Amino acid sequence: MVLQKMNDLRRLIEGGPRKKLVLAAAQDQHSLGAIIKAWKDNIIEPILVGDKEEIENICKSNNYDITGVRIIHEPDIEKSVETAVRIVNSKQADILMKGKIGSATLLRCVLNKEWGLRTGNLLSHFALFEVDTYKKVIAVTDVAMNIAPTLHDKIAIVNNSVECLNKLGYEMPKVAVLGAVEMVNENMQATLDAALLSKMNQREQIKNCIIDGPLAFDNAVSLESAQLKGIKSEVAGDTDLLLMPDIEVGNVLYKSLVFFAKAKVASIILGAMVPIVLTSRSDSEQAKFDSILLAAAASR
Amino acid sequence: MLALGKKHRIAVAWAQDANTIGAINKAVKKGFIEAILIGKITEIIKTCKAEGIDEKNFALVDSDTENKASSEAVRLAKTGDADIVMKGLVGTDKFLRAVMDKEKGLMLPDAVLSYVCALQIPAYHKLLFITDPAVIPFPDLDKKVAMARYSIEMAQKFGIKKPKIALIGATEKMSRHFESSVDYSIMCKMADRNQIKDCIMDGPLDIFLACDKKSIEIKGVETPVNGDADILLFPSLESSNPFYKGLMLFAAGELAGLIRGTEKPVIVMSRSESELSKYYCIALSCLMA
Repeated sequence: MVLQKMNDLRRLIEGGPRKKLVLAAAQDQHSLGAIIKAWKDNIIEPILVGDKEEIENICKSNNYDITGVRIIHEPDIEKSVETAVRIVNSKQADILMKGKIGSATLLRCVLNKEWGLRTGNLLSHFALFEVDTYKKVIAVTDVAMNIAPTLHDKIAIVNNSVECLNKLGYEMPKVAVLGAVEMVNENMQATLDAALLSKMNQREQIKNCIIDGPLAFDNAVSLESAQLKGIKSEVAGDTDLLLMPDIEVGNVLYKSLVFFAKAKVASIILGAMVPIVLTSRSDSEQAKFDSILLAAAASR
Repeated sequence: MLALGKKHRIAVAWAQDANTIGAINKAVKKGFIEAILIGKITEIIKTCKAEGIDEKNFALVDSDTENKASSEAVRLAKTGDADIVMKGLVGTDKFLRAVMDKEKGLMLPDAVLSYVCALQIPAYHKLLFITDPAVIPFPDLDKKVAMARYSIEMAQKFGIKKPKIALIGATEKMSRHFESSVDYSIMCKMADRNQIKDCIMDGPLDIFLACDKKSIEIKGVETPVNGDADILLFPSLESSNPFYKGLMLFAAGELAGLIRGTEKPVIVMSRSESELSKYYCIALSCLMA
């Protein structure tokens, strides 16, 4: 099954138990807004960890009704993150979300060896876009976390994303490994890594997906341009997941989709015990809401 | 024997040994070559007499050293007086030095010098081409690509339009620890994208998966080569050379091999090869000329 629109994620969680989302350093207006909305929409059940007074003040001045929401008072920011992570570690919550703290602080806690959320897997960023000009939603990784992934990292990033897509109902997601060209070029490492990933997929060293690459962006998402170039590929023109060669390409693509193509976006961090919602302050409330929705669907 | 359109002229460098003269004589008698034997004429005539071969079957050119004989053979090919060059009793390194000479040699511009050979093995259902059992010790990616193209080209001369080429390793898995498996994965993608044309390529594959359908079934590996390889491309000289020699010795193999990367066919054979294999090499060179 393939997701056409971001809202299709709701279908995945309908009827299931509400996932518990713990917000670390919860005194954050933007996060609270999205969380309350998701709570009202029966998508998640929030647990707020942070300065109780501040949280209540924010909710009051924004008319957020939080009657019945569990709040754990912890005014110290670092400690509130630790508390939130420990709650997840002890299986009392299904999703971790970043509030009013830097990403670095949150990730440091996530990677804590004693009470963190390590699984042994690489952490990677996974983004889902809804663009009017593509026939379905398209996942993109990694646009925000791994700077210059090696082949080894790329394997881990693909595995993280494929596992997530499998949970979202994609049995065999089609993965396009992006390059500037669809040809193998010895001077472009991305094209060489793409060839290796394709072969590892053929040999079932990377499972549960169909990988092809290098593919240039146009032939990854447009069957017409793939056909014009004479590319024979199961993935070309029908990509479910785009694997970026590095963060520069990924981040620029992400932002161009949002700013120029007015894409809807949802994003989470994968590779930890649970999905982590790590949106930035500049993300819209809609993006935060959709990220929570994605995390809930991915934690099934 | 494939039908050949015209008679080719072979220049043989330092053609003083019975084995070479015997193979050449057989081809001359079959009527598909004319031969120019270069070396000490007195020695050549002496060898012919001892073998009961009429030296008038050949054109003879006098030359008093191995190096001069090699250069002369190459010169004849360069000027068009010969179509094929063959190594006689001269050492391979001396002979190839003349072939590879930057000004007077026979190398195509920027070409990789390599070797492809066709093996006839009673236990296999068709000819098996292998590369490179003789010239490149450790081919890098570019050289492997050149080897693939040369072997495809040769298989095509035998009428195989889209040869199946297996890139040989110890296992079929991609592992960064085996450099060849990395190169092979890249090559397969190049074949996908038509950067290497006119072939069905897969690798890494071990020889069982390359040449034995039963192994494919047992292992459950999906491969377009499907146990029916026409060509085996090896990761190194140390793997390919023992492979073909083992087949010659233990599996009654016969071969026909040729240097590639030159303007005109160049025949290099080791002295220990049988007269039949030498004869096949001459026939192959005519096919490729």
